[in-house]
Amino acid sequence: MEVHGADAIAQPATARDDQYLVARAVASQDTAAFGELIRRHQSQVRNFLRKLAADPVEADDLSQEAFLHAWDKLQTYSGRGSFIGWLLKVAYTTFLQSKRKSKRYAEVLNEAGHVADMESRSYTEDSEEVSDLEKLLAVLNEDERAIMVMSYACGLSHREIGDATGLPVGTIKSIIFRGKEKIRTSFDIKDHQHG
Amino acid sequence: MTSKIINMAEKIRDAEDRMLESLFASEPIADDGFSQRVVGRIRRRIWVRRLALPVAMVIGGAIAIKPASQLVVAASKLLTVVPEEVVVTPAEWLPQVQGIAISGSFLQTAIYGAVLLGVGLLGARMLTE
Repeated sequence: MEVHGADAIAQPATARDDQYLVARAVASQDTAAFGELIRRHQSQVRNFLRKLAADPVEADDLSQEAFLHAWDKLQTYSGRGSFIGWLLKVAYTTFLQSKRKSKRYAEVLNEAGHVADMESRSYTEDSEEVSDLEKLLAVLNEDERAIMVMSYACGLSHREIGDATGLPVGTIKSIIFRGKEKIRTSFDIKDHQHG
Repeated sequence: MTSKIINMAEKIRDAEDRMLESLFASEPIADDGFSQRVVGRIRRRIWVRRLALPVAMVIGGAIAIKPASQLVVAASKLLTVVPEEVVVTPAEWLPQVQGIAISGSFLQTAIYGAVLLGVGLLGARMLTE
């Protein structure tokens, strides 16, 4: 079970790039190599999903699911583009699937006469402690939020975001532009910017 | 060349972009056993998948053993009912296909197989009824 050991990946540090670890994980079902990939990228994936899912516990559960999906689909990673871009694509798909499931669940509850308590998990400004980022994310729709997070929090290029979301680069640019416009109008960015 | 220009244009970020980056920036999350938990789940899944087929075969065999034995008994009873001259069919009774470049013994085996299959299916049907 221990995958932290120094000899877990018996390769010099310079050779331990993502592509090598992916190849190793795919070729010999090497869970230690995949464990190394998880350690490298878990922070970005979890941060990404925390910004989308709002609830950190739910986000961490989704992150685990995302890595399990990534393991299952690892052979589909072609090596074109960064591995983190591909991972975020898997994470985003996992998030959307979970969202669809919870939406269906809420619909079933509503049909049964229950009031689904789903709203408390969404980004609202009247929750107890709302950070600037949460306020900012609240004005964006789901797609804008995901793309803005990929761009500004994860540092992905427009092309990588395009690969992750399956949208053309031009659409990515216009979504980012629209997101910025919304943030600008909602929070009076110019005043903030100049102090 | 064009892609390089696009990449450069992407990298030129204005003050607004830098402010957004600082807003979106978050502290790195410590692993705290996260990767081990995921790797543990993956290893368990690998074992479950490896064991699934043998376990399914054992369970399926255990379920099928009773009807299979009944089938054998029914088939043996059926053979006692069927006249002996039908069971021991002379080779010349079987239809002979002329002009086919398959050896005669292979064709006979295939026809016997088909007859046996038919008898087996009939027996199985009798059993279920």
